[in-house]
Amino acid sequence: MMQSLNRGSHEIMIDNMVRFHTGYAQVQDYRFEEEASLDNAFYFDNELENRITATNNRIEMVLPRIQTFMLAGNDYATRGAMVMGIDAEKEHAFNNLKDNLISGEFFEPNDRKAVVTAGLAKRLQLETGDVLVLIGQGRFGMSANALYEISGIVRHPIREMDNQTVYLPLAEAQFLLSADGYITNLLVSTSSDRFTNTITSAIASEIDDEELTVFTWTELIPDLLQLLEFDLVGAYFLAAVLYIVIGFGFFGTILTMTLERMREFGMLLSIGMQRIKLAVVVLIETIFISLLGVLLGMGVAWLFLYYLHLNPIQLTGDVAEAIIEMGWEPILPVSFAADQFYTQGFYVFLIALVVFLFPLVKIFRLNILEASR
Amino acid sequence: MKNHIIKTENISKTYNPDTVPVHALKAVNLEFSKGEFTSIVGPSGSGKTTLLNMLGGLDKPTEGHVEVDGVKITGMKDSKLIEFRLQNIGFVFQHYNLIPVFTAKENVSFIMLLQKRSKKEMEHRAEELLNKVGLGDRMDARPKQMSGGQQQRVAVARALASEPKFILADEPTANLDTSSAMNLLDIMEKMNKEQGITFIFSTHDQRVIDRARRVITMVDGQVHTDEIHKESSSTITENDSQRIDTE
Ligand SMILES: Nc1ncnc2c1ncn2[C@@H]1O[C@H](COP(=O)(O)OP(=O)(O)OP(=O)(O)O)[C@@H](O)[C@H]1O
Ligand SMILES: [Mg+2]
Repeated sequence: MMQSLNRGSHEIMIDNMVRFHTGYAQVQDYRFEEEASLDNAFYFDNELENRITATNNRIEMVLPRIQTFMLAGNDYATRGAMVMGIDAEKEHAFNNLKDNLISGEFFEPNDRKAVVTAGLAKRLQLETGDVLVLIGQGRFGMSANALYEISGIVRHPIREMDNQTVYLPLAEAQFLLSADGYITNLLVSTSSDRFTNTITSAIASEIDDEELTVFTWTELIPDLLQLLEFDLVGAYFLAAVLYIVIGFGFFGTILTMTLERMREFGMLLSIGMQRIKLAVVVLIETIFISLLGVLLGMGVAWLFLYYLHLNPIQLTGDVAEAIIEMGWEPILPVSFAADQFYTQGFYVFLIALVVFLFPLVKIFRLNILEASR
Repeated sequence: MKNHIIKTENISKTYNPDTVPVHALKAVNLEFSKGEFTSIVGPSGSGKTTLLNMLGGLDKPTEGHVEVDGVKITGMKDSKLIEFRLQNIGFVFQHYNLIPVFTAKENVSFIMLLQKRSKKEMEHRAEELLNKVGLGDRMDARPKQMSGGQQQRVAVARALASEPKFILADEPTANLDTSSAMNLLDIMEKMNKEQGITFIFSTHDQRVIDRARRVITMVDGQVHTDEIHKESSSTITENDSQRIDTE
């Protein structure tokens, strides 16, 4: 149960992080990590795209982004915003960004329009069709000021980003920032996290002698990963505690059952039932009881998880805030993999076998006279 | 040459030999023959239960040995002894130890199942025996649904089912009211007379003692008297029970 919840949260969180934020791998100028400035952008063209894509056939595509902080405002207010020039088609192919549109639509590559994330739009009281002012600096200190019509408002699954992102068409952003042809980040996509390391090292050897460097998503967000691992350890620990609790509960049942039946066992030995036969009967009983418990438990858990699956728990209050801070969605989704049920059922079965040791030892040590007293 | 079915050779039993030794049996020599209807009597703590446990191979004597049908059971390996009990000795316990989840018929059949008899024989014999002990109409009742006397009759039927060489019963009537006790004794006596089943039972109950043909009195772990009542007199028994009833 807990693991289901946890795994569900983690899968979604990693997915969101990778698809909306970091990519599975990311190419940057080697100075960018130290100083995330437009000055440390790098030149990106078809030639580079082809070279990187060709390094490994697990690479699906690359997504160029140019991003920098600017002031975003209107008549009403001004806020710091992460301005991100993107290839909207590619982003959509990677993370279905357009499905998150709340209103309006995405810009075409050559439009001079912006898409604003929902949180930012709310703070600035912006709606589709309004005008957004962007004020900041471009590459090498060039001033960068412009007005954009808002073509749409989109919800970003990572709350922090949702509160501060402005999307521009890549070409428009490059123009605004005096960075024609330049990008700051190149996200690399693959079909599964399993290939992250493979593609990263393939790219690394290709760009070895250039002023570029490549990171895996885990290298880009180590803090988050740590949190995640800690969380998983917590989940396993919790599971272990649960198994111990289940084990002791079950042990208690079998213990009482065994002790209550000592007289019966003694009688059976008296009239001529072999200890080994008696042990087999009790083993069958123990397994039967545990299976019944497992099936019942699984049934209830399945129903419960299914319910949660259909109706994820909406978290509110402090917990929700804390989770939003971490970039989760404030819901508790569940992982719904059948193998978890089998695994846990198997564990319970093992517990039954361990618990059976008690009646087993009792039966073989049983002194008939003491038992029948 | 005597036809001994059980023979004890100087058996002694000392409980807790290392701490507070209790000499429950002291050099007891006894012989039991086929067809006996024997009562073991004596004050509480005199060693009746201990003796019966020795005869049934449920406990080992500290000294001496027990022979059943010419086979020395003392010192037998545990699993071999269990098998020996299954094939040769019937038990009726004071607390009518039946299997609670089984019906009367299943309780009787179970011991035959252990003996690996055929299903048909099991069915047939269980029904026959339950009829004989007067429980033909309670075959499918579980122990909880039966009176103490009825449960004890199931226990007798179970003991008979395995066709043992003899049946040991430690205070079989101790938890029964007078009429149930007499009814049980009637059944045991009938089995003894008609089929020559050997019964050895311990008791405190004078009415039960009076029904026995041989009475062994234990005192302080030793055989005090060992008397044969040539003819167990039903008149005395009846008078006796009437006297007790009117008291
Ligand atoms: N397991 C044991 N450990 C120690 N002492 C025992 C044990 N069983 C019996 N004794 C003692 O051995 C003696 C004989 O006991 P036993 O049970 O054979 O007497 P009994 O004649 O059956 O008595 P009762 O009529 O009360 O059933 C008693 O003094 C008893 O306290
Ligand atoms: Mg006794």
